[in-house]
Amino acid sequence: MLLVARKNLFSERMRLAISVGGIALSVFLISLLLSLYRGWDEKVGGFVENSSIDIWIASEGTEDFLTAASLQPSEGNQEHAALYNGAKEYLDAHSFVDRWSPMIVRLAEGVRVEKLSGDDEKLGTEMDIHFIGFDTTTRLGGPIETVEGSDTPGPGEVIIDEKLSSRYDVDVGDTLRAGGRDWAVVGKSKGGDFVATQTVFVTHEEAQTTLRMEGLTTFYVIEATKDEFVEPLETDLEDLAAQNDLPLVVHTREEFAANTRERIISNILPILFVVLGLAFIVGVAVAGLTIYTATIEKAREYGILKAVGFPNRYLYRVVFEQSATTALLGFVVGLGLTLILGPFASEYVPQFVLLTRWQDVLFVAGITVLMALIAAYIPVRRLAAIDPVGVFKG
Amino acid sequence: MSQVTKTYGSGEAAVHALDHVDFDVQAGEVVVVMGPSGAGKTTFLTIAGALLTPTSGTVEISGIDITSLSEKDLPEIRRERIGFIFQSFNLLESLTAIENVKLVMMDGTKSRGAANRARELMTMLGLGHRLKSLPKNLSGGEKQRVAIARALANNPDLILADEPTANLDSKRGREVMQLLRQIALEMRKAVIIVSHDHRTREIASRIAWLEDGTFRPDVATERDPVCQRVVEVEGSPSFIHESVTYYFCSSQCYDLFQTEPRQFLTGTRE
Repeated sequence: MLLVARKNLFSERMRLAISVGGIALSVFLISLLLSLYRGWDEKVGGFVENSSIDIWIASEGTEDFLTAASLQPSEGNQEHAALYNGAKEYLDAHSFVDRWSPMIVRLAEGVRVEKLSGDDEKLGTEMDIHFIGFDTTTRLGGPIETVEGSDTPGPGEVIIDEKLSSRYDVDVGDTLRAGGRDWAVVGKSKGGDFVATQTVFVTHEEAQTTLRMEGLTTFYVIEATKDEFVEPLETDLEDLAAQNDLPLVVHTREEFAANTRERIISNILPILFVVLGLAFIVGVAVAGLTIYTATIEKAREYGILKAVGFPNRYLYRVVFEQSATTALLGFVVGLGLTLILGPFASEYVPQFVLLTRWQDVLFVAGITVLMALIAAYIPVRRLAAIDPVGVFKG
Repeated sequence: MSQVTKTYGSGEAAVHALDHVDFDVQAGEVVVVMGPSGAGKTTFLTIAGALLTPTSGTVEISGIDITSLSEKDLPEIRRERIGFIFQSFNLLESLTAIENVKLVMMDGTKSRGAANRARELMTMLGLGHRLKSLPKNLSGGEKQRVAIARALANNPDLILADEPTANLDSKRGREVMQLLRQIALEMRKAVIIVSHDHRTREIASRIAWLEDGTFRPDVATERDPVCQRVVEVEGSPSFIHESVTYYFCSSQCYDLFQTEPRQFLTGTRE
């Protein structure tokens, strides 16, 4: 680093602190929001992505997991028995299908805690959940991973996601009230956190009864025998639906996960961009103003340097180095704050799901470099205009 | 300098700050440039210092025609061929004394050689004990000596000093003057001093009188006993006191002297 740049920068400690603080605040906000975005992105698509389901079959118009308004006939449906039997026969016989089963997904709002164990503080707490009925034989659509208690719910029993447990302080042995009846919590699973809602698993039959969906289901879910069969199987199923004029849509795991992410992320993305933009402006404004005022204050000294033979490019380098050093310090402080304070925020606010990727750290570093360049641009223009002859005036 | 003209503005509003000026200075010589305010001294100095381009004419420093060089080549000429000494010292406040000297030799890179030469120069100028002092902790005389060390750092052929004693008391001013003379003689530098200070005459190899943009030959000068400025004898207000004729830069000085001549003569006849 140039001697003049270093001396100018560190001789004004308060100004340096303000400048670094501005960039650090900006970096902190940007990296926090990016981590939040990544965290949500990961969580929202995580369940669909990590389940063993390769193909999701739903009624036409159902494009994602969260707004699953699909209704299809299932076993015991008198009206569409032939249709169901035909589909069953087809899936059983298809060589690409390893396992298949119906699956019910329903968003249930206002589920109450009817806690029978532990303290009474959470009694009556209401929560929004994704109520999932899965086939306990194939286990398709069931808990991704059981972390406590039973992995298979029996009649009147539920397995709850661990995030639901921590968010509402519900535990194995407690009782939830949903769909007009009580459910005993018998297990805890992980991987079913959609940030705003969490998954609660019951058997498919219990879900049908509770949700008055006898003879109906939300999805048919399939696991293919091999990964390479997924796309041909999707094509076969789409062809079959088209030939029989069935109002069905077929999604692969990736499509369905992407659509589910899109549902949430597309809504928060514009807000995210606005806040990111504001954070960037704050960083540039604070760093730019402090570097500009420092340059103006030292205008005579830059004039002296010009007079004694330093070319403009040397002076530009002085300002850029000051700006870059400020930005680097701001980046380190801002990123440090994110890494230190982020986990605390997540601890107290469950929706504050953070995931910091190295690619995002690089991105923020790039943004910081951009801030440094912009912050130095105006002072550099000012430097170019300094007339060295001025230093002869006492 | 050969036939150097510097004109500001154009048409009827044109002002010729320098008008076909011829001037030269040799190694080992101290030339003191004097003249009334507005005579073109600063323009002369900035053109000689490759900071300003003349409207016409040529300027050569050590055989290099700087008027034929492009704008981007001039900084190197200033840094390598010319040493500047300013009236208000113009040191960089955040740098220590030795760093101020070292800086002009480094061009952005660290150099042990630069540090050694800076230390050597400062010791030679009696500042060996002030190497790490910040300018704000130095006296005026010390600051000017640091500035002289900086001017000598790149071993230039030409030293340009603009009112180098203006901000110094009488004793420090004399010291600086003697130092400049010593530099010219012992280090074989060409020194040009622009000054109003009569003390500079003591060390001058010659005095050049600049007025209305031209150097006037054979100008008789005297010191104004009131303000101590050097004034041209011809045309200046004068007053005879005890058979000695005194000359003044302005009617104000003249009036002051007339009121109580002894008051001004005591201090000037040292």
